[in-house]
Amino acid sequence: MSWIKEGDLNLLEKISANVLKAGPMPKHVAFIMDGNRRFARKKNMERQEGHMQGFNKLAETLRWCKHLNIPEVTVYAFSIENFKRTKEEVDGLMELAKQKFERLLEERCFLNVCFAYTSRYEITNAVREMAWGVEQGLIKASDVSESLLSECLYSNNSPNPDLLIRTSGEVRLSDFLLWQTSHSCLVFQSVLWPEYSFWNLCEAILQYQLNHKSIQKARELHQEHQALQQLEADRACVAEHLQHHGNGKPADAQRRQEALLHYTACREDRVQDFLEALKHKRNSFFSDLCSKPVLA
Amino acid sequence: MALLYGLLWRLLLLLVHVNTALVSWLRVRLRSWKGRLWERAVAALLLPVALAGFPDQHKKLNHNPDATANPVTGNRDDGRRARWLSDGKALEKLPVHVGLLVAEEEPSYSDVANLVVWCMAVGISYVSVYDNHGIFRKNNSRLLEEILRQQNLLGVDGSKYSIEFLSNGSDKHNVVSCRPTVKVLSPEDGKQSIVQAAQQICRSVENKERSSKDISVSMLDVLLRESKNIPDPDLVLKFGPVNSTLGFLPWHIRLTEFISLPSHRDVSYDNMLDALQRYASCQQRLGQ
Repeated sequence: MSWIKEGDLNLLEKISANVLKAGPMPKHVAFIMDGNRRFARKKNMERQEGHMQGFNKLAETLRWCKHLNIPEVTVYAFSIENFKRTKEEVDGLMELAKQKFERLLEERCFLNVCFAYTSRYEITNAVREMAWGVEQGLIKASDVSESLLSECLYSNNSPNPDLLIRTSGEVRLSDFLLWQTSHSCLVFQSVLWPEYSFWNLCEAILQYQLNHKSIQKARELHQEHQALQQLEADRACVAEHLQHHGNGKPADAQRRQEALLHYTACREDRVQDFLEALKHKRNSFFSDLCSKPVLA
Repeated sequence: MALLYGLLWRLLLLLVHVNTALVSWLRVRLRSWKGRLWERAVAALLLPVALAGFPDQHKKLNHNPDATANPVTGNRDDGRRARWLSDGKALEKLPVHVGLLVAEEEPSYSDVANLVVWCMAVGISYVSVYDNHGIFRKNNSRLLEEILRQQNLLGVDGSKYSIEFLSNGSDKHNVVSCRPTVKVLSPEDGKQSIVQAAQQICRSVENKERSSKDISVSMLDVLLRESKNIPDPDLVLKFGPVNSTLGFLPWHIRLTEFISLPSHRDVSYDNMLDALQRYASCQQRLGQ
């Protein structure tokens, strides 16, 4: 039995979906699924029941995303901060997660679940990985850049989210994907997560479409800046190198240009080797974890 | 069929734009209507209230800082300052650090200066100004001039509320005083600062001064705070139709509340106070 509920959209939903799809669509949507406990209080349910409804809503939302051709979804399920809750609640959530995600493996979709996650920790870990690379002699400190840091995040296999939706009316990011959403469309909706509807999703996508051009412009500006910074950094390294290894005479423009191209190529090779090593390190971490005997 | 959906989509966007324009037009009309009502109410009620000496009611009625001279409380400037300060004190919760994110093209220096001065007048200690083109950073001095000019115009005593104007790379000493501080930010203070901090750490690792295992969240946090001890922004007021942080201090906005206002142009004190009131009523559960 499929966990992501099968079934089509009704006629009105189908038409609306098609209208929206005529415009630019987000390729990666992130959700902060907030409001389970408030929902439970509102309906006089147990908290656990509220979380259960939340999971069901997640399944339904994934179905809608499939119909809207949104290939990737990231959700904020559980933060390191949430461990502050009562043991009973934490255990309950863990058990629910285990059950639901086991069945998710049967589906074919890109769902990223951020579990025991905070963005600051993720960024710090990326810095740690780069420092490890320096320790191993794979990269130099001067190779550290915005794009390299992005490659060292847990989310390096995904594009940045185009759209971030937070439900239940809270208007903050709560340490979720702070780096990755710097140029995403942020939509804060007051509906509680277990009450989220197809129309709420359409509303959020419409917001994305209205902001698309200006955010795109801002993103391009930022990328231009990044490229310029990288060029300046490379030039500075080359200048330093030429000074140390030169024969005292200032190098001519052609020699500088050749040196720059050569340096850039070497840096890119170094970075590639480092990223390969990092990938290998992470894979062996997971395979070691899986090979350990699982206690019943 | 695709053509039809394309047309319907364009129609949908048009309807949304018309709706937005209508709402902002209504808002302006409502404000001017409300303004006249306020002035009459102030004139009618203020005299007996002031004579009776109830400072609370006095503060509630007088929200318009540009109201005509108040004959009862004497010095207009003193009255306004007291009003602003009491507005700030009346809030359940006042942010310590407010970010003004201007997500509009061609920013207006006088309007931003107004906002800065009002924020400081209600008792906010730190105000940051940001736009994603780095325009404010480039025109640092012009903004400072406008702020000083607005201070004088609005009768805010220069010596009491003197601004410590910080821009990247300047003062590195600790800010010990409680004077309001204005910081001008640009995209370089965002991801680029995080990268610079990372480079610094990696260089010390390269020089064998520390190991990669020593790197922690608090280490990075200290580096990103430099030595200015400015707290993370509690609140960001975003001006303009763009729903994005546009690169504003990604590390520091972990728990920041975001309140959007339609535009910074011709923004009023009331608009700002409304936003602060909305902030005061929000609840942070911090994971629990």
